[in-house]
Amino acid sequence: MAEIVIDVRDVTISLGGHSIHRDLNMSVTRGEVIALIGGSGTGKSVLLREIIGLLKPDVGHIDLFGQSVLDSTPEQMNVLRRRFGVLFQDGALFSSLNVEDNVATPLFEHTQLAHGTCRQLARLKLDMAGLLPDAAKKRPSELSGGMRKRVALARALALDPELLFLDEPTSGLDPISARAFDTLIRLLADSLGLTVFLVTHDLDTLFSIIDRVIVLSEGRVLGSGTVTELKNIDDPWLSDYFAARAPEGVNAHGN
Amino acid sequence: MGVTEARAYYDEAQGVLIVSGDWHAESLAALPVLPDSPSHIIDGAGVTQLDTNGAWMLLAAAGWQVSDPLPELRAFQPQHQAILELVARHSASTAMEPGPLHEGVLALTGRGTLAMGKHGLGLINFIGHLSTELIYLVSRPSQWRWREFGAQLNAVFVGAIPIVFGMLFLLGVVFAYLLGSQAQQYGANIFVVDGLLLAILREVSPVIVAVLIAGRTGAAITAQLGTMKVTEEIDAMTTLGLSPMAVLVIPRVLALLLALPLLVFIGDIAGIVGGMLVTHEQLDISYYVFMDRVADVLRLKTLLVGLFKAPIFAVFIALIACRMGLSVARDARSVGEHTTSTVVQCLVAIIILNAIFTVMFVRLDI
Repeated sequence: MAEIVIDVRDVTISLGGHSIHRDLNMSVTRGEVIALIGGSGTGKSVLLREIIGLLKPDVGHIDLFGQSVLDSTPEQMNVLRRRFGVLFQDGALFSSLNVEDNVATPLFEHTQLAHGTCRQLARLKLDMAGLLPDAAKKRPSELSGGMRKRVALARALALDPELLFLDEPTSGLDPISARAFDTLIRLLADSLGLTVFLVTHDLDTLFSIIDRVIVLSEGRVLGSGTVTELKNIDDPWLSDYFAARAPEGVNAHGN
Repeated sequence: MGVTEARAYYDEAQGVLIVSGDWHAESLAALPVLPDSPSHIIDGAGVTQLDTNGAWMLLAAAGWQVSDPLPELRAFQPQHQAILELVARHSASTAMEPGPLHEGVLALTGRGTLAMGKHGLGLINFIGHLSTELIYLVSRPSQWRWREFGAQLNAVFVGAIPIVFGMLFLLGVVFAYLLGSQAQQYGANIFVVDGLLLAILREVSPVIVAVLIAGRTGAAITAQLGTMKVTEEIDAMTTLGLSPMAVLVIPRVLALLLALPLLVFIGDIAGIVGGMLVTHEQLDISYYVFMDRVADVLRLKTLLVGLFKAPIFAVFIALIACRMGLSVARDARSVGEHTTSTVVQCLVAIIILNAIFTVMFVRLDI
C-alpha cells in the first residue's frame, strides 16, 4: 500500500461561533493529484489552512508525512514546511522583491547556497513554470494575473517539495491560461513525482487533471472518488454542480 | 531520513564524473570543486536522492553548458535520469547576465534631477486637472462633498490642535528664555516681548505648523489615497461616475486650506502664552505689563504676514500629498516610497516658499 502523505482524522473546528468541520476524515496517498470541492462556505480553505498549520482545529489529528502537525515543535514544523509548497489564491508575492528574488527567497532562507546560485535555481523554476527569462527582473505589480500565478507556483516549487497545496489555482484566469496552468500542474506532478492537493471550483480542472475528488458538505466529507463515481452520489448540490457543465467534456481525463 | 552529503569526484583514468549521495539544495553548501574541463560521462549509480535543485547543481558541477549536448548519463535510476533531462531542457534561462553596474555620483545626481523635474511637471498637470474640476463644480453646488469636507476638517484641524499647541508653547518658552538671557545683560527686558512677537507670529508659527501638518496630514493623505489606489477603490469610484478629484481631492484641499491658518493662529497664541510664562519667571515682567506691551507693539501686519503664508503652504501640502497618493503604483512598496516623497517634497516646498516670502516682504517694506 502506498504511503499516506496527508491524514486528517476526526477534525472538528468552529470559527466565530459557526461550526465548520464536524468529525472530518480524509487522507491522501503519495503521488495522487487530489481536488477538494464543495459549495461556498463549506470550509475548503479552512481545511487547507488547518493542514498546513495556519489554523488549529478544536479537536482531531492532522498528520503530514506521518508527523503530527498539531503536536510539532516550531523546529519540527520548520523541517516539515520545507517538504511542502503552497500556492495562495492571489499569489501572495512579495511586492518589494522582483520576480527572481521572490522565487529565490525560500532558497536564501533554508539553504546554505550562495545567493547567485539561488537566483540561478530560481530561474530554473521560473522556466519550468513556463515564464520567459525577461520576466525575472520585473516587479510583481508589472505582471498579469496568469504570470503572477506562475511565479507563485515557481516559488512553491523552489525547495523541491514532495507535496504541493494549491488554493484555487485557476481562479481569475481566462479559460486558455487556466487550461495551460492545469496542464503545467499535471506535467510537473508527473515528472517530479509530486503529490498535489488543490482546492478548486473549476470543473474543467476536475475533468482534465485530477485523480480523485473529495467533496465537502455540511462539515464533513460527502464522498470521494473519480468524477464518474461522484456523479452517482445522490446529493442536490453535487447534481447542480455537475449540471453546470455540458456533458461532452467527460472523456477528457488523462495525463 | 538521515542526510548524506552529495559527493562527486572525477575519475581521470576513465574520464568519468562519479557522483553519489543525496543531491538536493540542503545537502549542498556549494558546488564541489572539480577540474575545469567539462565531463562527458556522469556515473550516478550511487545517487540516493535527486531533485531539480540537485540536478541543476550536478550538471553545473559537471561543467555542462546549455549549448553543449547533454553528457552521457550512466547507471542513474530512471526517475533521476528523467529529472536530469527535465532540468536540462529548462536550463536555458539560468545563465546569469552581469549584475547592474554601480552608478557614480554624477549619474545619481542626474537621475535625481530628472525625477524632480518629473515631479514638478506631474504637479503642474495635476493642478490643471484640479482646476478644470473646480470650475466645473463651481456652477453645481449640489455636488460639493460637504460631509467628506467636514470629516477631513475634523481630522486635519481638531486632531492637530493638541500637538500644535504643545509644540508652539514650548518653542515660545525657548525663544523667550534665550532672548531674555541676552536682553537682561543690557537691561532691555521689555524688548523681549517685541522680539518674541516678531519671531513667533511672523516666522516660527507658520513654518513649524506647516511642517507639522506636512508630516501628520500630508503623509496620511498619501498613504490613504495610495492604499485606495492599490485596492482599486479609486478605479471603482471612477466607473461609478464619481470623480476622485471631487470626492477625494477637493475636500482635502479645502479642509487644509481652512485648517492651516486656524492652526497657525492657535500656534501664535500658544507661543505668546509660553513666552509670557517665561518672562514672568525669568525677567519679572508681570502678565499685565506683558499684555500692555503686546498691545503697544503688536501691529496687525505682523500677524497677517504669518496668517497669509498659511493658506499657501496648505495648498502646496494638499496638492503634493494628493498627487503622490493618486500616482501610487499597485504595490505595497510604492505606497511607502510615495509617502516618504510627499513629506520630503512638502518640506522643501515650505522652506523655499518661506524664503521667497521673506525676501518679498522685505522688498515691499512690509
